[in-house]
Amino acid sequence: MLGSPTAARARAASQEHLLLDYLNRLERHRTERRAVHIHLSGLAKHNQREQHLRIAAATFDNLVKMLQAQAFTMANADLMVVYKAQAQDEVESAIVKLRFLFSDDPLIIDDAQKGTLCTWYDLESEYDTLVALAQKMVAEEQARRRAEQEQAGIEARAQAKPKGAPFTPELLARVEAGLGQADLSNLMRRQAVCAIVGQAPPQPVFHELFISIADLRQTLMPNVNVNSSPWLFQQLTETLDRRVLSLLNKHDDRTLEGDISINLNVSTILSPEFMVFDDNVKAGMRGTIVLELQKVDIFADLGAYLFARDFAHDRGYRICVDGLTFSMLSFVDRERLGADLIKLIWDPALTEEKDVKTDALRRIGITRIILARCDTPSAIEYGHSVGITLFQGRHVEQMLMSDAKRRGLGRARPRG
Amino acid sequence: MIASDREIRRYGEMMNATAFGDKPKEIVTSENLLYDAAERVGRIREGRQALHLHLSRLLPANREEAKIRIAFRMFETMADMFRGQLFLLTNSDIVLICKDARLADLDAIVYKLRALFSKDPLTYSESEDGEDRFVTFYDLESEYDPFFATCVQLLNDAKMRIAQARNAPQIQPLDARNLTKVLERIGVTDIASVVRRQPCLHFTEKQTAVVAFQEFYMSIMDLQKVLAPDVNILANRWLFQHLSQILDLRVLSVLQDAGFRKLPTAFSLNLNMASVETTMFRKFEAAIRGKAGLVVEFQLIDIFNNLDQFFRARDFLRSHGHKTVLDGMSPITLQFMDAERYDCDFVKLNWSGDMADDVVTSELHHALGPYGFDRVILARCDTEAAISWGLNQGIQHFQGRFLDSMVAAVTMAQCDKASACTLAQCNQRHGVISGHLRVECGNNDMLDLFPTLRALR
Repeated sequence: MLGSPTAARARAASQEHLLLDYLNRLERHRTERRAVHIHLSGLAKHNQREQHLRIAAATFDNLVKMLQAQAFTMANADLMVVYKAQAQDEVESAIVKLRFLFSDDPLIIDDAQKGTLCTWYDLESEYDTLVALAQKMVAEEQARRRAEQEQAGIEARAQAKPKGAPFTPELLARVEAGLGQADLSNLMRRQAVCAIVGQAPPQPVFHELFISIADLRQTLMPNVNVNSSPWLFQQLTETLDRRVLSLLNKHDDRTLEGDISINLNVSTILSPEFMVFDDNVKAGMRGTIVLELQKVDIFADLGAYLFARDFAHDRGYRICVDGLTFSMLSFVDRERLGADLIKLIWDPALTEEKDVKTDALRRIGITRIILARCDTPSAIEYGHSVGITLFQGRHVEQMLMSDAKRRGLGRARPRG
Repeated sequence: MIASDREIRRYGEMMNATAFGDKPKEIVTSENLLYDAAERVGRIREGRQALHLHLSRLLPANREEAKIRIAFRMFETMADMFRGQLFLLTNSDIVLICKDARLADLDAIVYKLRALFSKDPLTYSESEDGEDRFVTFYDLESEYDPFFATCVQLLNDAKMRIAQARNAPQIQPLDARNLTKVLERIGVTDIASVVRRQPCLHFTEKQTAVVAFQEFYMSIMDLQKVLAPDVNILANRWLFQHLSQILDLRVLSVLQDAGFRKLPTAFSLNLNMASVETTMFRKFEAAIRGKAGLVVEFQLIDIFNNLDQFFRARDFLRSHGHKTVLDGMSPITLQFMDAERYDCDFVKLNWSGDMADDVVTSELHHALGPYGFDRVILARCDTEAAISWGLNQGIQHFQGRFLDSMVAAVTMAQCDKASACTLAQCNQRHGVISGHLRVECGNNDMLDLFPTLRALR
């Protein structure tokens, strides 16, 4: 009746079997339970590497820990999550995070139109369908395993490689010299960009690392109005870029392992310093890295931007156009620029003439928008009312803190 | 001993550092290393291949150091699997020598690099004999001799370039420190001597062309010579932008004092938006009010620095009866933006040869159709071909050297002092507003007249 010990062990380890077992056990507990089949097998092959799938599965870790869900990673890379109906919002916010992780993948791009990413099941009414699906998956998995064993050793898969005085040139020169000595790690700040769906607590998607300009000014040039010359300020940001990169290159606290975003100039992306950074990032276990660019920098030399964008995408970085107000959106066309994300600055005026504005946001792609500088709950409310799911700002930080307290963690975890 | 790729690269960098550094010595360039490698391969040609990417043939803007660095980086990552020898040459070309590589794999890499430079004619236009100008493959078993000859040529060219670089004057890039000195020198520099002018002609239905306005701008090359011969003022985009704000004010002041015999129908000026909000601008505006029109040309970099300020400046100018131009458009920039949204009176499109290509022409129609070609200024028309292309698209406003000579020719035909000058002299004198060139002209009235051109088509 039983197979060989090896076969039994193999079967025990198969997630397809575990899913079927779990469903069988739920037979008499179908009420208030749902499942979602996430078709990650439809992702482009380069997005199906082990580390991607590991990160994808980890998205549901919290729910699993809180006993709200069980997640199964199928051999074909699909995810099956069986969860309690009360966790619907959390599940959806985890899926927002997944969409973000793979935002450049055709599957996700199609999903916005056709909803190809997920199939939802209500166990109360669709239990049998789901069990049949699980059985089919078991059968397929066994067939695949046999085929794989035959193929084993023949083909090795390609290794995944992984207000004050005016700002003058003299002052700029002095500040740039000062930056050489200053310990910028004191000025480095981080703020989470979170998926927030419904009433679920915010889920950090990545953390923006940035130099606090206010603190920098206070330290290196108190009483100077850096806004008095936008161009000198822009030059200062280039110098800062390089310092930040070298700081990140030196960091041994695993900063580069998490999902992060950094603010850079186009010219910095093309610089030798960035090549070193790219080497370090590749060497470490990198998560998603988002490069945030300013519109003035993009439009100052569109040819250079194109070049940097293609290079960054080739290396797996995401491009985000930073700091846009609603009125700029018709001038900065995300799609034509080939940027993955934009940051829209929250402004209560967004709620005026809402229908027109909502249409405009939909054209950009609502899932591509991060609503930034959300300092009040009204920002989140507005975002939700138009379908925005990614948020950043002081209020989001507060929500994170209170969620962490509620869960009994002393403080927010350093990374999500 | 065979040097590893990494060593080769380091030699390449050493060379760059030394070539522009203080004490030139005998320099080992990557061309030297390529030559050595090619010599060695001559003895073991079996299964060996070479690939030569002619990045030195890219347009200068695409050949910038940073872009070549990225290209080499991408190439390097992909070419890793061939375990070959890779050379980034001092002229920006890339050469790979490898063994038993599948042509399809090499092709795939070349394809990616080509995509990176897809906007450069080098990657899509073939030479007259139908050869791919972007890349040359060599099967070294049968094509060793032409490959070796190429390596010799590359080495000789590199030696020549280094010798030239040694004799070139030392020029520093613009930085915050030397910018201060450059700014100080503006006060003692004769800015009028570097102000140039160029007419913009409006082709009418009566087969004539009248000067719609004269554009006044600074010749950056000449400015560089008189203001900062030892500093490359274009080397830093942001700092140059800061410098240009201060220069704007000087140009406005110079133009008020220029002794025009006949004021232009309209002045066209390249200004920073911030300059429109200055007292100097208001003074200039007051000085020409009722006597000449005013057109202000804005750059994308400036517009995107502060879109709200741009709208303010545009509306202010419009309410005072002036006109605005969205400057510096090209097939690339128009890909990313809807020109009509900026609601300027004109859009200035810079002519380039690739625009005659059917695909590019139709893209431009798509981009500028909604705006209307009747409000497009085709600039940098150096040839008659540019003008005929423009006329075919329905463009009516043109600027460029080809037209400058026509203006000079028509002026000479009407000038009673013309027998003393050549066309080139007349042309040059039209281009300036002060200095000896203008003084040498015996008829300044005629020089400022810009007569109507007839029977053009």
